Amino acid sequence: MDLAWYAVLGLFFASYLVLAGYDYGVGLLLSRGVGPAGRRETLTALGPFFLGNEVWLVATAGILFGAFPLLEGELLAGCYPVVVGALVGVILVTVGVQLRSRPSSERSRARWDRVVMIGSALAALGWGALLAALLQGVPLRTDGHVAGVTHLATPFAAAAGIAMVTVIAVHGATFLTLRLSAGAAAEAGRTARRLVPVALTAVAVATVVGLLSARVRDAVQRPAVAVLLPVLLVAALLAARAALARQRPGWAVVATGAALALPVVLVGAALWPYVLVSTTDPDASLRVADAAASAPTLRLLGWVALPLLPALLGFQAMCWWVFRGRTDGRAPVYW
Amino acid sequence: MDTLLLARLQFATTTSIHFLFVVVTLGLVTLLVGMQTAWVLTGNPKWERLTRYWGQLYVINYVLGIATGLVMEFQFGLNWSGLSRYVGNVFGAPLAIETLVAFFLESTFLGMWIFGWHRLGKGVHLALLWGVAITAYASAFWIMVANSWLQNPVGYEVRDGIAHLTDFGALLTNPSLGMALGHVVSAALLVGGMLMAAVSAGHLIRRTPDFALFRTSLRIGLITAALAITMVQGFGFAQFGPVGSVQPTKFGGDNPESRALIAEWTTRFGPGDYTPPALASVGLGFMILIGFTLGCVWLLLPLLYRDWIIRLRFPLWLILLGLPLPFVAVILGWISREVGRQPWVAYGLLRTEQAVSPVSAPLMLTSLIGFSLLLGTLAVTNWVLLARHARRGAADPALGRPPAPPSEPAHPEPALI
Repeated sequence: MDLAWYAVLGLFFASYLVLAGYDYGVGLLLSRGVGPAGRRETLTALGPFFLGNEVWLVATAGILFGAFPLLEGELLAGCYPVVVGALVGVILVTVGVQLRSRPSSERSRARWDRVVMIGSALAALGWGALLAALLQGVPLRTDGHVAGVTHLATPFAAAAGIAMVTVIAVHGATFLTLRLSAGAAAEAGRTARRLVPVALTAVAVATVVGLLSARVRDAVQRPAVAVLLPVLLVAALLAARAALARQRPGWAVVATGAALALPVVLVGAALWPYVLVSTTDPDASLRVADAAASAPTLRLLGWVALPLLPALLGFQAMCWWVFRGRTDGRAPVYW
Repeated sequence: MDTLLLARLQFATTTSIHFLFVVVTLGLVTLLVGMQTAWVLTGNPKWERLTRYWGQLYVINYVLGIATGLVMEFQFGLNWSGLSRYVGNVFGAPLAIETLVAFFLESTFLGMWIFGWHRLGKGVHLALLWGVAITAYASAFWIMVANSWLQNPVGYEVRDGIAHLTDFGALLTNPSLGMALGHVVSAALLVGGMLMAAVSAGHLIRRTPDFALFRTSLRIGLITAALAITMVQGFGFAQFGPVGSVQPTKFGGDNPESRALIAEWTTRFGPGDYTPPALASVGLGFMILIGFTLGCVWLLLPLLYRDWIIRLRFPLWLILLGLPLPFVAVILGWISREVGRQPWVAYGLLRTEQAVSPVSAPLMLTSLIGFSLLLGTLAVTNWVLLARHARRGAADPALGRPPAPPSEPAHPEPALI
């Protein structure tokens, strides 16, 4: 039962990174110098999907609280600065995108767009560093609490955060090749292909720093899975580049989306059966089974929430289907 | 300052800001459902214009509701990890259900509603707004289930110091829940009605072009506010019974029930100060005062006859100047409910000081200042934008604006694969 819920938690967090990932990627790409009209067109590409993407984060936090209360408390409080950084980023993006077109002056709109860019970068950095924090272990004491927050300040967390920013930028650019009108899409495709080597470099740096870190080597329970992570990331990025070169934007988005989902799945698998590995006392490490809520709670959530999953996915799919295709002169503009 | 006080201040700040936006969301969406349904049923373009104008204000207001809601949700883990550690098995369940069953769908529907004008069939588009409203009410329900559990923990047993769920049905029939839910929902309708009446009054005072439109929304807002204030008062006074029996210490005062409960706590948890701060009962007093003042909305209703309310003009000023009152009242009501729970985070079960995260005071202070400044700035910016859009009138809201005439094929091929 707790494994099933752990999988659902992973599914929601991975879906959040994939879906909101292109929001943040698009947010980062507002800096690419396309002028006011180009920026508006870029945000119109997000359009109807934007509100439905961020809900995956809210649902992730809800599942974390309901099904893994112990993990929720220790993970969030134990990684305080990183979580707050990501959260501030998410808030800036959500407010910035929705409000940027409400003032009519171009100067205010440009200011809001900068807010969106900063927020996107913060969110990507924060979630990347949080995944790194899981992978490098936390100073969990036997009383169950994480000691201090200085454990986060490592080169690996920084490198992973930066790698996340670059992968998200590639993902955003690839998404734009799928959504923008033909001319603008080709330009976004060139941006995406230029960004792939940057992302590959960042992933390589994060891998090397991670391999050199004794904390990461000690915390990882299944080294083979951990090594698979950068290999698959590189493969996904190269696949995206190839798909872009062959004018297959759909496949390219699938590939960059996989690059954002994989870290969640593989970090979870590499640490299994633990979810928080203690760097100070191996006996203090938190197992997934111990982090989960007790059986009656999981049963209840299973009865109430799981039957609704098809409905949640169905309405999201309805949104993707109704608003599929490229944005053109007739696309509804609101953001 | 210690971590506990800072964490409490942060929770109070975030929740107050959040509450100011969500009551408007819940109230306005109800009125919007009525307007758009009237449009679809009658085909009268007046209703479409009303839906677009009020819909745009609703959507602007919604933004801060999400932003502050996100902070609220993460704050439980960031600042109150003891809450999830000791009572997460029970308290977490309604919150998880709220995010999955209610908020997830609410936001998905809203995205489609905003971008669905001129794209979806009228029936589907209306159904989406109904979906937004129903899930918003479901959201209020589950949040109140969770909150009521903190006021009066039920349906659990403690093993090894940790609460485990035994009877979920008891959470739904919690005596702290029913009347409080009715009270909050009618307060939201009151806020929505007052906002609609006040904005319309502003336009009628300035004699802006859309007389007929704002006359209609003034009437809708005022009648909603009048019905809602009566419900607010009814549900409010109906709470004294259940609160008195399950939380006798809540509003201070020396009564045998609270003396008995405090004596019981002293034997179980040791001696301590078990009376909540006076703020709870002071907040309650002022809220009741505002509640009675707002009851005077009924006196304005006869003036709707032959538009005397507009012709006399001073009633319009009264409505406009009265707008802050319901907002102040909802904050006071919330303060009295939550402060009255002190020193417990879960009444009689877990003390607030046991729930706070073991985070250093400087870090908590940074977080408090940072989030207060961020959310405060965003809230003020949002209200300025709301006020500007309210003032601009219903000539051409961006929401639901018809697309430019077609220059490219209307239905491009899907680009996937």
